[in-house]
Amino acid sequence: MKILRVENLTKRFGGLYAVNNLSFSLKKGEILSIIGPNGSGKTTLFNLITGIYPPTEGKIFLKDDDITGLRPDKIAHKGIKRTFQTLRVFPNMTILENVLVGMHPIIEENIFNSIFHPPIMKRQQKEATEKAISILSFFGTRLTGTRLHHPANSLSYANRRRLEICRALASDPKVLLLDEPAAGMNPKESLEIMDQIKQIRDKGYSIILIEHDMKVVKGASNRVIALDYGEKIAEGTPKEVSEHPRVIEAYLGKKVAKNA
Amino acid sequence: MIIMKKNDPTLGEKTKIIFMKIPTKAYIVITILIAILYPLLIMYGTAGQLWLRLAVRTEILVLLALGLNLIIGDTGLLNLGYAAFFAVGAYLTAIFASPRFGFDLPFWILFLASGVTAGFFGFLVGLPTLKLRGDYLAIVTLALGESTRLTLNNWDYLTNGPGGIPGIYHPSFFGYPIDSYVKFYYLTLIIILISIVVLNNLKNSKLGRSLNAMRENEIAAECMGIDTTKAKILSFVISSVFAGLAGSIFASFQTFINPTNFVFMISTMIVCMVVLGGMGSIPGVIVGAIVLDTLPEIIRQTFSVWLPSVFGSDFYANWPHILKDLFINFDRYRMLFFGILIVLVILLKPEGLIPNKRRQKELRETDPREISESEKTLFDVEEGKMDVKV
Repeated sequence: MKILRVENLTKRFGGLYAVNNLSFSLKKGEILSIIGPNGSGKTTLFNLITGIYPPTEGKIFLKDDDITGLRPDKIAHKGIKRTFQTLRVFPNMTILENVLVGMHPIIEENIFNSIFHPPIMKRQQKEATEKAISILSFFGTRLTGTRLHHPANSLSYANRRRLEICRALASDPKVLLLDEPAAGMNPKESLEIMDQIKQIRDKGYSIILIEHDMKVVKGASNRVIALDYGEKIAEGTPKEVSEHPRVIEAYLGKKVAKNA
Repeated sequence: MIIMKKNDPTLGEKTKIIFMKIPTKAYIVITILIAILYPLLIMYGTAGQLWLRLAVRTEILVLLALGLNLIIGDTGLLNLGYAAFFAVGAYLTAIFASPRFGFDLPFWILFLASGVTAGFFGFLVGLPTLKLRGDYLAIVTLALGESTRLTLNNWDYLTNGPGGIPGIYHPSFFGYPIDSYVKFYYLTLIIILISIVVLNNLKNSKLGRSLNAMRENEIAAECMGIDTTKAKILSFVISSVFAGLAGSIFASFQTFINPTNFVFMISTMIVCMVVLGGMGSIPGVIVGAIVLDTLPEIIRQTFSVWLPSVFGSDFYANWPHILKDLFINFDRYRMLFFGILIVLVILLKPEGLIPNKRRQKELRETDPREISESEKTLFDVEEGKMDVKV
């Protein structure tokens, strides 16, 4: 079953095509990796799907729901959540609060409740906190325990990435977009995060993954799409794509490709 | 420095708990007790009356600072025209509870109506302007503050222009009149305590978290499902409501208001209180307002009344003229004092007198484990990149 469908998506910045006539779809419960050299339009694609930029042309469907051109907060409510390549945790908020913010689409609360805190809300908040802790404990004790009430800026880069994943998972999104989750991690941690991403998929989430670390891409993904200059140059299993001549050309240039 | 000791990892768990637990509850109780007992000053005759009058003024400023803190501290937007909302509340109460048009509506209705009207004014202003950010919003709100004052100054029919509105009635609750400084003091104290509860609830709610998230990172906040325009307008409106309520008390306390009560200096003062006390921290903002409003008065009294009365009236006879003038007429040097104080705070304690706990942590504390971990990671990244093969 196709959960996310992108049709003929194009984004132009002036004369530059950041994403050019791109079509693909994401099946439920799979990990789809997007690879490509720097500047090939991977992050722009995420920005288009999450509504940060409106696309120049093309359509995006979540199941059968047209979400093209909606505002980011509406798209988050529909069930697409993401992490950021340039970390965007809320630095002065505690780790717990970061995840609670991520839970916004599923917390029902009106202004009256916000101001007067009736007993019903206390119970709700307790439940939300418990859920947040259970999400955070996915990464062991790295984000829980005494750290729960530490500000996010006390975390290392790797832990901030983990926190971003927790924050995105907090509202049970239908589609999870991970933008370079292994960047800034050492090889051991990269392998660990790869396993964890697979575990997240096995819980039933559908994931699109941008990653430069080819070990992670090969180990985690069901399918891979390679982009270059905003266009799709290859699609298939990790092995097929990594052996595809155009992919090798895009990464290493023509001469090397001939010798390879 | 004390703060660093508190978080010293070599201290045992118990020591830490003692350090952490004393401040929150005990300080709140002590502060409320002092606030309740403060009017006993009235026993000291006219001097006591003077200090009580000053205290009510401070309370009104505390209320304003609490309201503005919601915008500056929690939402991270700058509002330099806060006096405009204060003025809306004050004028609404003045017009409907004075001989000017012959109205005499009950205070509690006017009090609520002032809050609602100021909030609505905030909504009208916020709708087009809150798409602006940072400096631009500051300039727009600054202009709003000035244009509101000029409107009040020139709309003779409604506001009697520079002449102001005299003879505003004192409030009364079901026949019980609020007509002395002590009664005003307690009325305002109750309103402040309710406001603190409300603002504290707000802080720990979905809305409060959205405001903080927006301050920290607007794009991430949007991607987490926060409607940033709506949240900004809400915070602007709620904060305007507080200004309107404060204005209503102000008008009925002063019994006379005119546009010079709502000049740009007032807005600036309130911003200073928030910054000085600690942005985003409720106790900090209260302390900031108290310090900035009462310290000049204390200094003035010390040098113009208390010292001469202790050391004789020729105490200043041999002092250089400029120092004599500075101490005796301290009011004239108020602004100089503000300037020096703000510069000192920014240099020595940039997070404010009583900082927001989180911001304090950001400036003072790092988990030693995290430092070693991030160093390790940085080192390993270099090696990790070498693995990338296609």
